[in-house]
Amino acid sequence: MKRIHTLTGLLAMGLFFSSCSKFNDDINTNPNKPTVASGTKLIANAEFYLQDMSSNAYGNLYPQYLSNTTFTEDARYSTVYFNYYTWYTGPMMNLETVINSGSLDIKEGPIVNQIAVAKILKAYFLWHVTDRWGNLPFSQALKGKDLVNPVYDKQQDIYTGIFKLLDEANASIVVAGGNIKNDFMYNGDMTSWKKFGNTIHMLAALRLSKVDPQLGKTEFNKALAAGVIDNNNLNFTYRNLSDAVNQNYWYNSFSILKRKWYAVSKTLVDRMKPFNDPRLAIYADKNLAGNYVGLDYGLNSSVVVDNYSLLGAAIRQQNSPVYLVTYAQALFAQAEAAKITWIPGGDATAQSNYDLAIEQSIRQWNNNDVSGLAAFKANPEIAYDATNGLAKIATQRWVHLFMNGYESWAEWRRTGLPVLNPPADLGKPIPRREAYPTLERSVNTANYNAAVAAFPYGGADDLNARVWWDKP
Amino acid sequence: MKKTITLLILLLISTLTLWAQEKTISGKITSTEDGLPIPGVSVTVKGTNKGTSTDGNGSYSIQAAPGAVLWIRSIGFQPKEITVGSGAVINVSLSPDSQNLNEIVVTALGIKRSEKSLGYSAQQVKGDDLTLTKQQNVLGTLAGKIAGVQVVGSSGASMGGTQKIKIRGANSLTGKDQPLMVVDGTPISNQNFSNSTSNGADYGNVGQDINPDDIESVSVLKGPAASALYGLRGQYGVIMITTKKGKKGPKELTVQLSSAFAIEKTGNFMPLQNIYGVGNAQTFLTLPNGQKYLDGNDESWGPKMDGTPVRMYYSFYKQDPRYGQLTPFVPQPDNIKNLYQTGYNLNNNISVAGGNENSALRFSYNNGYIGGVLPNTWLKRNNLAVNGSLDLTKKLSVGANINYANNSAQRPTEGYQGSGTGSVQWFQRNIDMNELRNYKYPDGTIKNWNVNPDKTLATITPDGNKPSDWNNPFFDLYENLNKDSRDRFFGDVNISYQVLPELKLSAFARSDRFTQNISHQEALGGRNLDGYWVGKYQNTENNYEFLGQFNKTWGELSLNGNFGANLLTQNYSYLRQETQGGLSSPAFYNIEGSVDRPLVTSYLRRKEVRSMYATASFGYKDTYFLEGTIRNDNSSALPKNNNSYWYPSVSGSFVFNELLKWEPLSYGKVRLGYAIAGSDLSPYQTGYYYEIGNTYKNDLVNINTQYVPDQLNNPAIKPSFAHSMEAGIDLRFLKNRVGLEFTYYNQENQNEIIPLTVPGATGYSSFIVNAGKIQNKGIEVTLTGKPVVSKFFSWDATLNFSRNRSMIKELYPDVNTYRLDYNTYSKVDIFLNAEVGKPFGNLVGQAYQRDAATGKILLDKNNLPMYEANHDFGTVLPKFTGGFVNNFHIGSFDLSAMIDFQSGGKFFSWTKMLAVKSGQAAETAALNDKGFNVRDAVANGGGVKVSGISSVTGQEVTAYVEARNYYRNLLGTQVYEEWLMDASYVKLREISLGYNLSQKTLKKLPFRSAKIALVARNPLMIWQKAPKGLDPSDLSAGSASISWIEKGQLPTVRSYGINLNLTF
Repeated sequence: MKRIHTLTGLLAMGLFFSSCSKFNDDINTNPNKPTVASGTKLIANAEFYLQDMSSNAYGNLYPQYLSNTTFTEDARYSTVYFNYYTWYTGPMMNLETVINSGSLDIKEGPIVNQIAVAKILKAYFLWHVTDRWGNLPFSQALKGKDLVNPVYDKQQDIYTGIFKLLDEANASIVVAGGNIKNDFMYNGDMTSWKKFGNTIHMLAALRLSKVDPQLGKTEFNKALAAGVIDNNNLNFTYRNLSDAVNQNYWYNSFSILKRKWYAVSKTLVDRMKPFNDPRLAIYADKNLAGNYVGLDYGLNSSVVVDNYSLLGAAIRQQNSPVYLVTYAQALFAQAEAAKITWIPGGDATAQSNYDLAIEQSIRQWNNNDVSGLAAFKANPEIAYDATNGLAKIATQRWVHLFMNGYESWAEWRRTGLPVLNPPADLGKPIPRREAYPTLERSVNTANYNAAVAAFPYGGADDLNARVWWDKP
Repeated sequence: MKKTITLLILLLISTLTLWAQEKTISGKITSTEDGLPIPGVSVTVKGTNKGTSTDGNGSYSIQAAPGAVLWIRSIGFQPKEITVGSGAVINVSLSPDSQNLNEIVVTALGIKRSEKSLGYSAQQVKGDDLTLTKQQNVLGTLAGKIAGVQVVGSSGASMGGTQKIKIRGANSLTGKDQPLMVVDGTPISNQNFSNSTSNGADYGNVGQDINPDDIESVSVLKGPAASALYGLRGQYGVIMITTKKGKKGPKELTVQLSSAFAIEKTGNFMPLQNIYGVGNAQTFLTLPNGQKYLDGNDESWGPKMDGTPVRMYYSFYKQDPRYGQLTPFVPQPDNIKNLYQTGYNLNNNISVAGGNENSALRFSYNNGYIGGVLPNTWLKRNNLAVNGSLDLTKKLSVGANINYANNSAQRPTEGYQGSGTGSVQWFQRNIDMNELRNYKYPDGTIKNWNVNPDKTLATITPDGNKPSDWNNPFFDLYENLNKDSRDRFFGDVNISYQVLPELKLSAFARSDRFTQNISHQEALGGRNLDGYWVGKYQNTENNYEFLGQFNKTWGELSLNGNFGANLLTQNYSYLRQETQGGLSSPAFYNIEGSVDRPLVTSYLRRKEVRSMYATASFGYKDTYFLEGTIRNDNSSALPKNNNSYWYPSVSGSFVFNELLKWEPLSYGKVRLGYAIAGSDLSPYQTGYYYEIGNTYKNDLVNINTQYVPDQLNNPAIKPSFAHSMEAGIDLRFLKNRVGLEFTYYNQENQNEIIPLTVPGATGYSSFIVNAGKIQNKGIEVTLTGKPVVSKFFSWDATLNFSRNRSMIKELYPDVNTYRLDYNTYSKVDIFLNAEVGKPFGNLVGQAYQRDAATGKILLDKNNLPMYEANHDFGTVLPKFTGGFVNNFHIGSFDLSAMIDFQSGGKFFSWTKMLAVKSGQAAETAALNDKGFNVRDAVANGGGVKVSGISSVTGQEVTAYVEARNYYRNLLGTQVYEEWLMDASYVKLREISLGYNLSQKTLKKLPFRSAKIALVARNPLMIWQKAPKGLDPSDLSAGSASISWIEKGQLPTVRSYGINLNLTF
């Protein structure tokens, strides 16, 4: 009898354990993460990455805006390999998810508008990365598990893709349909987004001036006609906040880490100070002796900080804004386009745009204070003249694009203006692209090798090969 | 035909005779040790297939004829043969097999087995061997004591820091192959809360909550053949700890008291130069008033420390009595050493054990205190253990094992920019460490060395008093505190019922639960924003287990069978909060003090595994053994429709010494095993989800964000499997005086669940996939010997040796590299990879560019060595490891010494790299072959001699190059080849000299035994290949799964002490 009981017990126990390969649903449901995402919240997160386009030492070293007071290796191009992965895994994957989402919430704004904003931002990020690295994965990128080893597309094709994304966005935006939510760049305003999209479309088109003027001209005019940024209030500005999470990159460097590592370069001061450029007081601090003194670019050793002008205090407050795409920039582009006859009007149009660009730049940087503008513009070296039109436009654009280093570096590569020289003792030229992350050789070997082999103008995967639009 | 008939008749007669004379013999089998009955003893009639076994009361009965021989055997006792006489009752007492305690091995599920019957290697260490020198972390005490077990430890300065175990090489592509820890059958967590980057405090692995003084024995189940019964959790081996228990028997009480005190001294400092002080050029900086001064630079590439009067950092503080004064610029040769103090370690343990006929009880309490070698660091520890068992009836017994552990500590920050650990990396050779000790002026101003004075004011202004990279180390130690504490219970309650003499059923409820508190406070006045974070981490694991054990002997055939079921539930949660943007009120270390919205994370993880298992082990003639095990696991972490998996194993052994009948061979066994064990994944990796991003909030908007995670989960994931084969031979000669155990194994771990590194353009950094195949082949050898055995003098020695080769055989389609870890400094990367076709864990980084023909270094146009990226430096894992344990008994003295060794393996020394880069290392100010200091101008005969092949001319050249450019800008920044160290070493890890009070003396004292011992832990690194100042045996500084990098390693701590053991 006892045995029977025991056996029954055993059986019951066995059944209890074995019958239970089914678990409650909730046990393997992650309580720590949401399983659904809001499209506009994904977009908002992608927007966080926008400041990184500017808030970066390298970008501002290549066009020689800044110069290192110490640890000068960076200014001497010691870093060759740069990681582009974050741009894909971070903002672009968020945006791709929005673009492909079948379940966007209409309560967050018209779905077409959510998708259009995602497309504009994706195009903007793509443009940034391809200008830095050249050929990159695009057609097979952002496909997750479906494509472990994406191939590299030619930059030419990436540009075509950028134009297409911007065309689609421009066509689909329903301005009257309503704003989108959770957008801290334009507060959801679709007119602004539309103009911003067309502005980057126009700027990207101008990038083709050396390599494919035909296409450049067409795209430029298409974008311009669709409406571009036409006042400083529409500037695409990243507004940092007075809190630790959203603070300005340079504030952290100078005020939190107390690193007086970055002075403005002599290259820049020499092109501003002689002409009493009103922006210099914003761009730079005075040195200990009370003067604006630029630091020679790319010295081999540390200098006494007190002797030089550090990056201007106004630019490195906790909530100092970061200017990404601006009205003045659009005007400089139109000035150049007129000069190279992409748009009508010739030198007259070039000059009017040039003059307005300088004014709007000063308004932007100097908080709408235009004192000193007239005197500045009166300098013969500053005033537009047809003979040196392109150089003047490029130089003033370069001054305007201060701290928007990667954009400025791209314009320098395209135009070769203003004339910049690498550190004299270095024996290395100014970089013309950034090299791919070293990991890529290990995890995407075949495609990496093919990409390097397909460099449009040859060269190795280093800082010196040229991207497609940078035709030698 | 005639012969056949004769035979038949004879047979018939004999059978008849036997039959005619057989009678029932009964009796009781007891132990000579305690007189208690022994259940499950095998009683067989020799030469027949008749046999039985004793019941729960040790009673048996069997049919046998007078003159027949009864063969009485039980695991752990010496067998006996008794000839049946005229009586019907034969009571036998068996004496424990003390000659070879090793014969009983605790195997999976805590089942005790005779070593003979095991078809796999299961090496066991006695508790006494683990408490020789009172190491705090029990895993660390296993170093060198078990073949195939590699222990990577950490400096004693970390106070119970991480001790990592690798069994039979790296069996996981991720390197995360830590064995399961089991104490008295209860799996316990060995989680590590430390950072995996070697930065921050090293809280150690929580497996150290077991009191080493409570350990009776540790057996290590090395391969799946041994651990297959743990199924999903057995892939990487099991460390089975059995604690000491009270004894049932005549009423008795034993009280043991042990006290240990040790002082801890730091040693093994890196040789540094004492000629040049702070600066990056050999010229003095001057103030506007013409005074020479030193700034807060952290390099020692400056002028000669020749006594020149200079303004030191303290002379720039208005609060300092020496404000404005000049002091001589002189070297401080011992400044690094002076940071450390003599630490101490006090440990007291008391245990009371006793029992009577039907109950046994043991109670123990341990109290430990460590005063660290770094000022203001300490650890307190309390362990309490109670275990007992009670026979309620003759068949029913209950028991419980309860352990409580409590720790609290204040630990140093390790790694780069740790509490003073950075001083070898970046520092001024002219700073007196004792000067920094008073880190705060009376008005609260922090005295910093890494700050620059305002040149015009010749003062360090309040705003300028912020160190750029390095805090005053004493500020770190006294103000930036890492505090942690843990309360933990683990143990079980159990009940067992002897249903039949052959069958015992038991049920266990096991639990391991702890609460870990960790906090860090960052004070105002240092290089970081002030702040505070605090975390509470709670873990509960319960195991409900049922086990049936069946032992039966039929003549010469024996069966040991077990079947069981287990329900595992895990619940882990934490709440971590961190201030943002600083503290609203200085030194108000509270989340409420956060200036911005604090960062709060709450987390919950749950998992359940349901399992069933069975084993059957057959023995024939006590000579041939065959065992099979099977386990089925259902894991809640796996995809719902695919969560049930089977794990089988089969093994066999053959004991051949008796068949061989060769006198010198006292024991011989061959064994062979094959098994499949597995491993599943932590929960929530099969579903898709989003992450919560930062918030953008100002007066106008409050925007919450979300983002797509960087890791792509996989709903189709399967558990991974380890297939392993092992074969071995165990031999003992000359009455066990000499022994050899040899094992060969070949293990393949397949389809591991890994976060596969993928190209970022996929949109993800990693995919969770089943991937790869990693093979580990190796041998393990244990040699034991007793060269001298006499009453006055005896010597026994054990040598363990193991060699392992790993090979990555497959990874993932189109992916040949899996990145395990990496480090970037000054934008230069070094990667730890698993690559197809290569041994596990190869380092890839920048190396010298070499001439293809000669192998010599290529030099550029300035005659500086050239370097290239992506050079494969080979695996970081050692070629072989082992240990050599010697015990001597001379009269009343015991002398024990433990040596462990490792050959091969690599680590990257960031400390050495930076000591060179910062101009502190001795070689940066050595004399060159011309007799000039390398820092002297090249034109004047100085410079570092460099030779190689010129890339310009193709010719061999020898040249002198400027020292700072060479060491700082080139070697110390770019050429990682220089900083990869061979990890080979031979280390005297423990030595103990004990004196046992003689019985004569003891008679006058109230003790049964008394022993006093002088001990030393880590007294000597006998040999190491890496340069002085680095310790290849102390590379664990956190939870990283593979220890391949050393950055700001804490110094070697040598400990010397005295132990006292008293038994009442």
